[in-house]
Amino acid sequence: MASSRIQVTARQLSKTLKKKSRFDIGIATELPAAYKKFWREWKLLKPAAVHFIPQEGKWKRDELTGETLPIQNIPLPLKHPAEIYEGIWGGEAVIKGFQKRDMHRRRVPHYWVPVLKRTVVKSEVLNTHLSVTVTDRTIKLINDHYGFDHYLLKTPACDLVSMLALKLKKQILSELMNGCPRYAHDPQKQKEIYEEYKTYLSSYTPEEIDWYGLTWPEALNKVAKIKEAANKPIPLKNVYRKNLVEKLKEAAIEAKTPTDDMSSTTSWLSKMNPFGKKDEA
Amino acid sequence: MVNYYLFSIFVIEMVDSKLFVMVVEMNENNTFILKRKWPPPLHKKGGKPDKMKSRHFVYDLVEDTNVKKQQDMKVILSQFVDGVGNVGDVVSLRPNTAYRKFLLPGLAVYATPENLEKYKSDENKPKVEKSYSSPYVPRTIGCLSRLVLQISMSKTTPWKLELWHIRTSFRKVGFVVPEETITMPPQEIQGPDLSLQEKEFYVTVKINNREDVNVRCRIYHWATTALEKLPWVAFHWKKPLEPLFPEQAEILEKLPLPE
Repeated sequence: MASSRIQVTARQLSKTLKKKSRFDIGIATELPAAYKKFWREWKLLKPAAVHFIPQEGKWKRDELTGETLPIQNIPLPLKHPAEIYEGIWGGEAVIKGFQKRDMHRRRVPHYWVPVLKRTVVKSEVLNTHLSVTVTDRTIKLINDHYGFDHYLLKTPACDLVSMLALKLKKQILSELMNGCPRYAHDPQKQKEIYEEYKTYLSSYTPEEIDWYGLTWPEALNKVAKIKEAANKPIPLKNVYRKNLVEKLKEAAIEAKTPTDDMSSTTSWLSKMNPFGKKDEA
Repeated sequence: MVNYYLFSIFVIEMVDSKLFVMVVEMNENNTFILKRKWPPPLHKKGGKPDKMKSRHFVYDLVEDTNVKKQQDMKVILSQFVDGVGNVGDVVSLRPNTAYRKFLLPGLAVYATPENLEKYKSDENKPKVEKSYSSPYVPRTIGCLSRLVLQISMSKTTPWKLELWHIRTSFRKVGFVVPEETITMPPQEIQGPDLSLQEKEFYVTVKINNREDVNVRCRIYHWATTALEKLPWVAFHWKKPLEPLFPEQAEILEKLPLPE
């Protein structure tokens, strides 16, 4: 009996002491599931291994001792400078670490920085060319996916690692959702483009597209704005004015109805003499 | 959180069956590939890795794939490209060239299965008006039509202009033109006649038995001795001349003179 009671309390304790996630605090509790889905895709999903070769399988055998050991791929920590969000680096990032250049020398710090170049990418859905900072890997990925739009739409947010790419992806998705209005001058082309890319729309609802590609502060601002718009305070002066107008109208209606109470209204006026002295009044 | 994580993986895989195939195919990277010199110790199953020490940040370069030669890329031409090919041709190019010079300007499309199918069916259709016997034909036409062919003939010995004179003159400026492809004007040209010096005419050359191109010709009277030689004229090829045969005047006017 006692043991079961302890168990119960432990469970309650774990509930109360559980670390609150960012979605459990303040206005963030009102974020819709659509944004949570994007957040999972962006921040919680494990990005693809770019700078190391992950070991395959679950177990491996030590060659010397024959011991069976689990395989644990610990990814290399990456640095994301501000510039990464303004370009499309294709998942590459800066690596900070050490080099051991000689057996008898002390390690030296080193940054491995990807080779960046500025080039043009062509978005078919948006019907534009864009000048962006990319790496060779980006161009290769674009070619492998047969186009920039396919690359953006097929790659999860965690692998894009770029705010620019996410915003473009959102724009492309909303463009598709609206049926490619940029091709309104050429209905045949419009249809072709829509047919080519419409498969991607199946994995998003309109609400999810609306909430896609927003940073945390942007999402919070959006919630706040929606909330503010929903219960916008009406100025009291407007309320009172309305009430007054209604009252006056009612009074007017009442006045129209014939009533013989003129004497009552004039009784106190007749007593007053505006030109008389104060004492007389 | 764990549930979220699994769910999202599932969603991503569900997006498109193509995506999954794509990700499996792409093992090639284009970047630095590093390896830890001293790998960190194993951690508890399902737990967090231990705090890493400095030695776990010492990396060895496994490969820098930026300097590795990339494989050629196949693209389909969506229009005739001078020196490359006709519409619907699948050409293999260096990836950088293919991207910058063909895909971005819209001269070519990616060789996707759908595009291959689309341009294959187009082949059976009647050929588009702009197709040549070889991708290099427009270049040759350009070169020949810009040429002012100087035919050097004797100033002293009598002669009659023949095909082999024209062929030789072509060879002197670097064009190997077989005699059977050259069409001379029907009228006979005989000399020496110094009035021909200020006249011009054209011959027609047939390329690959299909395309015709007109070449502007001028006769120059050549002599061995200094006294007999005609005076030297600067930039004589830029000077517009009278047509030898009035019926050729119209076409000669259209031929561009070298700047």
